[in-house]
Amino acid sequence: MKLTMNANKITSVLRTALLSVALPLAVLPCIHAQAPAPDRATQPVLYMKWINYTAANGFPAGEVYCVTVDGTRVWAGTSHGLVLLEDGRVKKVFSPEDGLVGRAVMSIAVDQQNGDVWVGTFGGLSLYSGGKFKNYTNLTSGLANDLVYGVAFQGQFLWVATAAGVNRLDTYTGTWSIFNESNAPFEEPWAYGISVTKEKVYFAVWGGGILAYDLAKQTWRPYTDPDGEMEIVLYRNQGLIHNIVSSVTYNPDTKTFWASTYFGLSGYDGRNWHNYLTKDSGLASNFINAVQSRGDDVWASTQSGLSQLDTRTNTWITYSRDQKTGRGGILITSADGSKQRVATETSLAHNYILNTAFQGNDIWVATAQGLSHGIHAQSKE
Amino acid sequence: MTNTTQHSASRLKCREEALLGSALLALVIALIVFVVQQPKPAAAAEHTPAPDAVTRYLSPVALQLSPNGQRLYVVCEDSDVVLVVDTSSQQVIGRAEVGKRPKGITISPDGNSLYVSDEASDAVTEIDPQTLAIRRTISVGWGPVGLVTDRAGTTLYVANTLGGDVSVVDLPTGTEKKRLHAGRFPEYVVLSRDGSRVYVANLLARLGPPDQPPVSELTVIDCAKQQVTARLDVPGVLQLRHITELPPAAGSFLLIPFMRPKNLNPLVQIQQGGYLTHGMAVIRPSTTSAGEARDYQISELLLDDIDHSYADGFGAATTPDGHWALVTASGSNIVSIVDTSRLRTLLLNSTPTRRLELANRLDSANRFVTTRLPTGRNPTDVVTSADGRFAYIANRMDDSITVLDMMQRQPAATIDLGGPKRLSRIRRGQQLFFDASHCYQGQMACATCHPHEGLSDGLAWSLETPQLGRDVVENRTLYSIEGTEPFKWNGKNPDLETQDGPRTAMYIFRSQGFSSSEVDDLVGYVFSLRLGRNPHLAADGHLTDAQTRGHAIFFRDKTNSGAPISPLQQCPTCHSPLTHFTSKIQIDVGTATKYDTITAFDVPQLEGAVMKPPYLHNGEALEMEEIWTRFNPEDKHGLTSDMNKAQLNDLIEYLKTL
Repeated sequence: MKLTMNANKITSVLRTALLSVALPLAVLPCIHAQAPAPDRATQPVLYMKWINYTAANGFPAGEVYCVTVDGTRVWAGTSHGLVLLEDGRVKKVFSPEDGLVGRAVMSIAVDQQNGDVWVGTFGGLSLYSGGKFKNYTNLTSGLANDLVYGVAFQGQFLWVATAAGVNRLDTYTGTWSIFNESNAPFEEPWAYGISVTKEKVYFAVWGGGILAYDLAKQTWRPYTDPDGEMEIVLYRNQGLIHNIVSSVTYNPDTKTFWASTYFGLSGYDGRNWHNYLTKDSGLASNFINAVQSRGDDVWASTQSGLSQLDTRTNTWITYSRDQKTGRGGILITSADGSKQRVATETSLAHNYILNTAFQGNDIWVATAQGLSHGIHAQSKE
Repeated sequence: MTNTTQHSASRLKCREEALLGSALLALVIALIVFVVQQPKPAAAAEHTPAPDAVTRYLSPVALQLSPNGQRLYVVCEDSDVVLVVDTSSQQVIGRAEVGKRPKGITISPDGNSLYVSDEASDAVTEIDPQTLAIRRTISVGWGPVGLVTDRAGTTLYVANTLGGDVSVVDLPTGTEKKRLHAGRFPEYVVLSRDGSRVYVANLLARLGPPDQPPVSELTVIDCAKQQVTARLDVPGVLQLRHITELPPAAGSFLLIPFMRPKNLNPLVQIQQGGYLTHGMAVIRPSTTSAGEARDYQISELLLDDIDHSYADGFGAATTPDGHWALVTASGSNIVSIVDTSRLRTLLLNSTPTRRLELANRLDSANRFVTTRLPTGRNPTDVVTSADGRFAYIANRMDDSITVLDMMQRQPAATIDLGGPKRLSRIRRGQQLFFDASHCYQGQMACATCHPHEGLSDGLAWSLETPQLGRDVVENRTLYSIEGTEPFKWNGKNPDLETQDGPRTAMYIFRSQGFSSSEVDDLVGYVFSLRLGRNPHLAADGHLTDAQTRGHAIFFRDKTNSGAPISPLQQCPTCHSPLTHFTSKIQIDVGTATKYDTITAFDVPQLEGAVMKPPYLHNGEALEMEEIWTRFNPEDKHGLTSDMNKAQLNDLIEYLKTL
């Protein structure tokens, strides 16, 4: 018997075969799309509620340059003095009339050992202890310059970032040391920020990149933009994104230091650089005044809002304020570029963000027109 | 007897006599040799004093009773020992050798440990109070004096005079946990009765403009947080010394002796406290847990009478029931006994305005001081027994203890601690240094303005000027001044004999002053005062990199650009290292003000400069930096205008080592 296939039958078989292959392929994305909902733990935690401290409720008017948390106390540095908040209210505003050395407060560091508060101002350095101020200026002490941008503790030493280099004060002996272009690789003397670890001290230098001081070896290592003075990024992640660095922070959890610049955000984990620009990330602005990092998160204080990066999921969350309505907006940018917007009744005091600090899971945000307290919220359903 | 026999007997007798004679001769010769070899006896002290360096007096300066009152522990600063006195027999029964220049003592709450501060060793010695065995030595800050444990006995607070801080020591591990910034020259401490706070009395007032009254600080440390929670202003006074706290039934007041200077007035009238007065701060502590400064009520009362002063209040103590308080006047050899109920009545019945007036009223002491009892020379610390029956006072310049019967409120006995009885020239001079009796109305001793054995009170004074209010000059330290004459900022006193003799008599004591032999003794003592170990200089003398650079700057003869510096603008020209860093000349460095009648000032020595703020002849430079940043605009005080900040810092680091 000759086996011959009817043409129609062949077509039918082929059609069936094709369908049995194609159909699963067509269904597969849907199956993927219909995967079980992600674990709640992977959902970003949003700050849905904000309490603002402005001129309207006893807070000094003007910019808030820095904020530091000390247990239940919150210290804020403003253009009109040093503010102490406790139990949710302004407890005291210190000005030069109270003995503060300068009105514009740029940085605050609390000595956790003895409770002393060191205050960097544009008029020198103040020590607030036991209710009294003791002041240090360029003329009356070894302070390099009265424009003090940053202060930080390392054991018994106080590091001070000034417009003319960096000081280290031995608080036991009263000895001042100066580090500047004469004895360290400072391309520019303007030291803006400090971050201290057990082994190193990192300095943010405006126009000079990042400088790392090894405490044991007493050596310096600079990190600068390989593109030099060019305002471009030739190759992504080849180095510090820009030399105009406004602040630096070291995250011991991820062993990464982060640098905020006026032209983007940079992170270095010891092997690789991780750079971010607005054009291809959820960063609100390349003009970043400060950066903080803890856990997997990086917080960038930008001129256009507060941006949080979850480095694990590469998700960006930016908080901003609608200046007309006063309501808040949260923009979530996922790794795949998709965006999601969430509206909130309350918001940051202003979009120009200068710095942040954490009090447990809450966040305090220094803005150009007041201090904002972000209340930690539950995960979004 | 035959002739032969007689001849033999005669010869035997001659031999015996010869032998006896030889023996006698040999004995005489031996005696002569013995006498010749004996050292010559010392000449009389009046003519050829024995070397003072070998005479170590005791100089008791701090006391501690054992909990059962049977033992009195006595810290002796000039002999580096702690003596133990049996209070029943009033005899010295033990001795422990501690570190250098011990100054303070405290006992643990359980009575099982004694802690002694060794000022010149920067350490604390722990002693077994029974066996007097040294258990360990704990390193602390610079120049420790006063110390106290917390109520649990696990933390020791130590006031470091030179460091201006308080070491917080963890006693179980014997390590310093942290340092707390205190005021200027923190000296004595006390634990509050409820154990919640440590109070720190600072000897010197805060640095401030020389034309303003001084303000001293009582530093308050919260024991729970181990942090400074308040810095109390005690206005118009300095030399806060020992602190005693009255029990709650007596008002819980803190009593702290002080000296109130009138340095802003031209010193033309000494009577009735015209130069300075002596009193005590009476502070009612805060009852709030926060304990902020505003919660404390501070009053000041004078202990002087209108016609007599009781100079240099030092020790303070209270009887257990709080009824009586005792304050020693170390310059007047007196202890004042205060009826605290009268004191309290006076304060409670005074308005705030009245309390301010009391700070200057010389007619108020008789309202609460009931008795003034004589002590030995230079009474310092005072303690009371737990049963309130006795008080013990350390007489530093007599090496003795005065025992007071507090029931009778009379001296009961004097305990001789066994120090050398013969007074050396230096010891006599030291006694005079602390003695206010040569001053009109006993108002001051040398030590009044030069406390802590030669320090400066840090004040500018308007002394013996032909024009009132002119030529106000800063006080100076007395350490290592031998060979730095002339003296006075105008350089007019050629030697210390002139300074301590006629000048002191005429312008300071307003009395006959010291006799010539007393001046000689006093000069001998003052010249014996030496700078202690400088903590800014490594023990082996090695300079740090910054100090080395500063050394080079000090001795430079070229500017940063290579231009030669005129010898008149080089530091060593006026501050020669060969003569204590002073060339002993008067020179105009551009610091004269419109209130000065002269422009050239005596070049001060730089040794110990770090201990001498404020600086310049009138004390206008509060910090060393200001000598050049504010007061050298024309480079008349050395060519410094080309220096950058780092160079100035290095120069100062070097100067701190001198």
